[in-house]
Amino acid sequence: MTDAVQQPRLVIGIDLGTTNSLCAIRTGKGARVLRDRDSEPLIPSMVCFHPDGRKIVGREAKALRLTFPDRTVFSVKRLIGRAGEEVDAETKILPYPVHQGERGLARVRIGNDDWSPEQISALILRKVKSTAEQALGQEITAAVITVPAWFDDGQRQATKDAAALAGLECLRMINEPTAASLAYGIDGSKNGTVLVYDLGGGTFDVSILRIDDGVFRVLATVGDTHLGGDDFDRLLGDRILAAIGADARNPYVLQAVRAAAESLKCELSTKPNANLQLDLQGKQSSFSVTRVEFEAMIAPLVQRTLECCRRALKDAKLTAAQIDEVVLVGGSTRVPLVRQRLYQATGRQPNTGVDPDLAVALGAAIQADVLAGNDKSLLLLDVIPLSLGLETLGGAMQKIVLRNSTIPTSAAEEFSTAVDGQTSVALNIYQGERELVRDCRMLGSLTLAGLPPLPAGLPRIAVTFLVDADGVLRINAQEKRTGQEASILVVPSFGLTRDEVRRMMFESIEHAHADILARESIDLRNKAQSMVKGTKKALEQSDLPPDQTFAVQKSVKALEKLLAALTPVDLAVLKLATEELSKLTVTIADDVISSAVQKALAEEQREGKV
Amino acid sequence: MTKAPLLDPFAVFGVEHRLDLEEHALERRYLQLSRELHPDRNRAIGAADCAAVLLRAAEVNDAWRVLRDPWERARALSHILAPGILEQHKSLDPDFLLDAIDLAEQVTLCEPNAVANLQGRIKQQADAIFATLQKAFAAGDHALAAQQIHQSKYLRKALADLETRS
Repeated sequence: MTDAVQQPRLVIGIDLGTTNSLCAIRTGKGARVLRDRDSEPLIPSMVCFHPDGRKIVGREAKALRLTFPDRTVFSVKRLIGRAGEEVDAETKILPYPVHQGERGLARVRIGNDDWSPEQISALILRKVKSTAEQALGQEITAAVITVPAWFDDGQRQATKDAAALAGLECLRMINEPTAASLAYGIDGSKNGTVLVYDLGGGTFDVSILRIDDGVFRVLATVGDTHLGGDDFDRLLGDRILAAIGADARNPYVLQAVRAAAESLKCELSTKPNANLQLDLQGKQSSFSVTRVEFEAMIAPLVQRTLECCRRALKDAKLTAAQIDEVVLVGGSTRVPLVRQRLYQATGRQPNTGVDPDLAVALGAAIQADVLAGNDKSLLLLDVIPLSLGLETLGGAMQKIVLRNSTIPTSAAEEFSTAVDGQTSVALNIYQGERELVRDCRMLGSLTLAGLPPLPAGLPRIAVTFLVDADGVLRINAQEKRTGQEASILVVPSFGLTRDEVRRMMFESIEHAHADILARESIDLRNKAQSMVKGTKKALEQSDLPPDQTFAVQKSVKALEKLLAALTPVDLAVLKLATEELSKLTVTIADDVISSAVQKALAEEQREGKV
Repeated sequence: MTKAPLLDPFAVFGVEHRLDLEEHALERRYLQLSRELHPDRNRAIGAADCAAVLLRAAEVNDAWRVLRDPWERARALSHILAPGILEQHKSLDPDFLLDAIDLAEQVTLCEPNAVANLQGRIKQQADAIFATLQKAFAAGDHALAAQQIHQSKYLRKALADLETRS
């Protein structure tokens, strides 16, 4: 327990969203969103793996999604920390190729390469990091990153790994609705109970918080990791596809229809009807939809969110009447039906005082400031969203840490052996609310090894499960009879193994080099192309002696040939050819200039002005 | 697999070993302890220190979870004041057992519009048991207290089942 002297350092808050990401910082009292050079706060969570080798992130990637639909990755947050059937479900609705890799983990296939969701998230985080650095004019190495409250251990661990790959120390992961409640001017001076309704691009969360003199305590959180604005877009997109009879298998068509649906949805938030003209591979079609029709499509999804609200109230042992404030977060809460239904369900007009797109990042920035040691008045007490447990006989789930337990939290269990002389015990760890482990998510398996060989039932192995303030599980085990620490080996079923993270960190450094090379090659090609064009023009104007003209022409031809080559050209060769031409053209430049000067002089003389 | 011995939640909060504790005062104590001991307020330096800070904060949260629920508080108190007595008094009064079976049946067959009524009746019974429990602890009759704790489980289970159906 130390109050060591803190280096004054800037810690940013990052909202790593399904559709958009952004960052914010708090200096002094107010938090502000950090913007890029064009003063845009939102960075689309998209990565385009350009065929020329570049990895383009953010708005430029979004602009390229129709050009390279099978190389532009979006909504990767839906894949992070996921495996098996969950991956298959996503594959059907995403226009870029996703498949199950090793251990059934989600992998995105670009050309011949497989990318993990962690690596793709890291590219997005890198972009966020550089945006912050450019806005603040200093290096950023630490951040508070938000995750949906409903994220399980695997998804949280994977997000942490992505941060490490991006060169960011993740000081804390906080739940998105909790972060939003901090941003909502609820500065801790006002006590009360708040319901935070967070409908983002891909996830839905509802949290109920109690605020007492600066302590923000989450009482309950409930959510759905597969419900969001993306689903609204998809329903509308399916309707468009059916109406215009387009090929739903074609990735170009899918991306175009998805983009069209998104803009229609936004239009319908302010207008009773909307229509669009679509130009799909030369085929013109038009489509129109009314708000009433759209609302009928999404009503079942909105209903699902309200059921989550009811469950959250029940978990918090509260009634709707005991809620003092309803707060909206996430772009999808702009949909009028959402606001209307929520008002009906809670009897409170939702508070919309903070831009729902920015609230989460602003809240994360406030928590970042607290963790940097600059604010001692606020404290967040968050909960674990899903119960943690162990597999017992017959595949039953024995819950050890119950959901909605305030974190950090711990639980201790004692285990023994079943066979004489047994020196290891295996435990399978699960997360979920169902009674049978096959209906829960397996987080990993744990082997307690190196036990003293004793008769069955004699060893007493105390296992402590500790859930830290990030909601991530840590395990400790000890054999009590001998006091021997049992060695633990956890093999995660989801996300990356520690070795994989290490390898990827190494690779990302290597890739950074490759990225620079790719960038250099593009710059050089551009330079060479303009040089070829310029030299040709200069040759027409200048009066060089024939031998010099021939030398320059020869050099231009060589460079043109390199540029036109279909196979990738060695960067060094291209560089050499460009330098060669550059040397030769110095003389033409002189000649052109001097001849231009002479020409001008001659003309002036002719006019008799001198 | 057995539950490892509990920590003493009363000691963590620095309050007396007794059942009747004022809930508002407990809550204030919880918030105060959280402010002092939460890892956010105690940025640990080394890994060992970090684990210690985490464990201490976890203790506060875990103690609060026990103390805030009067029944859990009673169970912990019994465990501390008379270790082993809960295990000794596991066998229930046959009459009570018959009533409990009857109650479970009522819960299963309860029509949706009768849920509130049944809930009210069970809550009354639970209150009566709790009153006996308070008297038992006050008189130092830990065997009686243990019996009440065991009996309350059936009522609380019935209430929880009704809750999921409403």
